[in-house]
Amino acid sequence: MKTFFRRIQDAEFLPIGEVRKLKVILVMAFLLLITAATIPFSIYFAYPDYVTIIVLSSFVLVYGLMIALLRMNRVTASTQISIIYSIGLTLFYSQGTSSFYAYLFFYITLTIIIFYQDFLSYLSYGLLILALGIYYIISHQEGLALAVDVPGFMYIYIFTLVLFYLIFFAQILYNEKLHSDMNDDWVKMNQVIDKYHDDITTYLELLRKQAKREPLHEERVFQKLVGELAVFVAEQVKDKGKDIMNVFDLYLYVHERGIEKILENEEISVQMKRTADRLNHYLFNRRTDMYSMLINFSSRFLETEKYKPSRYEYHIQHLAQYHDEQLIAFVMIYQYLVREVCGVDAWDQMNKVLTIDEIDQLFKSPEIEAFFSPQLIALYFENRDLFISHFVSCLVEKGGTS
Amino acid sequence: MFMEIEDYREDLEIRHLRTKNHFVLALLTLMMILTLIYMLVSGFLLYHTLALLIGFLIVIMFNIAQLAYGKDIYQFYQLNKYITTMGVYALSIAIIFVFQSPSAITVLFIAYAISAFYQDLKVMFINNFLLLFSALMLMVNFSEYLNFQSSNTETEFGIAFFLVAFISILTISSFIIIKQKRFYYNQIALSRETEFRSIDLLIDLEEQNHQKRIDIDSYYKKAQDFFQEFSEILKLDNPFKERMGLLYMLEKNEPVNRILDRYPHYTKEDLERMEDLLIGGKHKLRKVAMKLGHTFTSEVGKAELFSEQQFKSFNHPNDALDVKILLFAVFYAALKRGIAGLPLADKAAMRRILTSTDYYYYVDPKVIDIYEKNSEVFDEICEDILGRKAER
Repeated sequence: MKTFFRRIQDAEFLPIGEVRKLKVILVMAFLLLITAATIPFSIYFAYPDYVTIIVLSSFVLVYGLMIALLRMNRVTASTQISIIYSIGLTLFYSQGTSSFYAYLFFYITLTIIIFYQDFLSYLSYGLLILALGIYYIISHQEGLALAVDVPGFMYIYIFTLVLFYLIFFAQILYNEKLHSDMNDDWVKMNQVIDKYHDDITTYLELLRKQAKREPLHEERVFQKLVGELAVFVAEQVKDKGKDIMNVFDLYLYVHERGIEKILENEEISVQMKRTADRLNHYLFNRRTDMYSMLINFSSRFLETEKYKPSRYEYHIQHLAQYHDEQLIAFVMIYQYLVREVCGVDAWDQMNKVLTIDEIDQLFKSPEIEAFFSPQLIALYFENRDLFISHFVSCLVEKGGTS
Repeated sequence: MFMEIEDYREDLEIRHLRTKNHFVLALLTLMMILTLIYMLVSGFLLYHTLALLIGFLIVIMFNIAQLAYGKDIYQFYQLNKYITTMGVYALSIAIIFVFQSPSAITVLFIAYAISAFYQDLKVMFINNFLLLFSALMLMVNFSEYLNFQSSNTETEFGIAFFLVAFISILTISSFIIIKQKRFYYNQIALSRETEFRSIDLLIDLEEQNHQKRIDIDSYYKKAQDFFQEFSEILKLDNPFKERMGLLYMLEKNEPVNRILDRYPHYTKEDLERMEDLLIGGKHKLRKVAMKLGHTFTSEVGKAELFSEQQFKSFNHPNDALDVKILLFAVFYAALKRGIAGLPLADKAAMRRILTSTDYYYYVDPKVIDIYEKNSEVFDEICEDILGRKAER
């Protein structure tokens, strides 16, 4: 329970799938409470006893189904069923009583749908609830009014319900757009970070070879350490630690044979192939998620410069105030691009230097907008020959670039 | 988390706050128009209608003013959230008192929905408090507003119960939605910092492997020649000469006083600012150039979803528990064994990062709980196998 509350508290660190599951669990807890309260309330409803019993039993059954689906990790199905369950409860209340609290149920169900932040669900189920709500208001006016009420009170009920729906509709649309934009930024940034990690991994490999050390996964000491740690954890979690060694053997086997050969091998079971495929993302013989996570973790111990507002700023216009400074910055960056290594070459050696054609291509790409103003790029193309004669020709003479 | 990302995360939130403020302003205006139309058509007293109109106008004008000031001082955007939340509740309560009808009580839900648009934790707490306070106040002190024609104990209890239930689900919903939004801000801010540190690490490794640093003298010599010819083409006296000289002295780590003596019309602040224009060491311009080079060599393809597979962790929901256990063991062992070229982690810092930062959520809850409770056992296993040197 403590862990569960910690996960709610720190939901901002959890991936979307985990949060979705959390949401379903929270909604289910809420629905359990409401269903329990429905039993005493149902005594006052205008249903024959057998209908009440059938409906309440159906709720219990559907609740059981939700639990089963959640246990099977069918989060989307549980989500949909929890929404349908809420609509069922709303119908049960709204058809059973004309009290004001039944009207509140429409808001409660809308809030549950809003909670999932799924545009299509909100559009379909939300509209259904809205229609049912309006129908309820029109058909149960007497239960919602005071003896002497304001004229057209019914329109206020309808108007607030519709406005409530529309405000959250706008919010969900806005969130969809915002999340989609941030998602694009995040994915692009991660692709570039993966590229840095590719280069870092190549350099780490070079350093390892220079130090004449075995690859980490081939070191006996490392293998022994992994084995002991894994068995210890497995014994604590599952009371049985030996099976984990089979997975570790498979992990080493994927390093040795390569995933393609394992997948081609008909003697290996589908389950084992699936496990091997997952383990393939965490190998040590190339840049994988394992390397990326190790690099990210270790880089937390790097001493970096003190924080200043321009820390994550890469656009020259934001780094340099004046035009002459911007041009100086451009010239320096240009020199860097034509002279320095920026990745692995065609022979997988850390010697790749951009060619003039590649630089031209880069300056014409849409990504360049994140670094330079269009004026600077135009200035470059107008004076391209001057740039080449000063910064490239001499390197070509020395055999530095093409 | 990195301390450095806090400011950037806040900056990301502020960037979107202005748009949210526009939405809220539009909703307030719509609410004002509809309320006034209804009051005029239904024949409410004119001074009631005018009083509400003035109330709406005050909140709207205040909003517009804060938006205008917020362009220069972003704190006005922040202030606007709180003032508008309180303003919209004040207006809703005024509507309830003027209308004296249970139908008007539902205007409180509209107030909640409008304030929820900000998706801010502090606003959410104010919002919940105000909604709960208003609902309780009406039920206790103005129960005649809920005195329905068919009222009985069941109805009274039902209203109280479901109102509390509604506020509870609204609170839970708002809390998680806000947290979910912060997930995106976190990931973007975290990626920015990861990028910054990865470039730093890459510079270190590049220099270790190629055994060379950037040839500052050559860079400046060629740039000076370039600017000389460029100026001649434009028939100008070389306007870049002075700044190039100054930047060169900064690259060479010349004392600030000496630089200021030579270039007296520059200030210390100018020099600090111009440090971002240095190409040597780990200065900003070098990082821009490296990022540019890597942007070119990466294939930035079609954006994919924030899917589980995109998210680097040892806690993918479809992985078997054995896989999750093994991957954590491999990760931990690799950190303890150390990888030449990567900074080393000390024991206490490792435990702290694994148990109280985002890394806690990159590992299966069962596995990380075992580690949290038995970190000494983990360390003992490592020391036994790797020797005492593993204890850093």
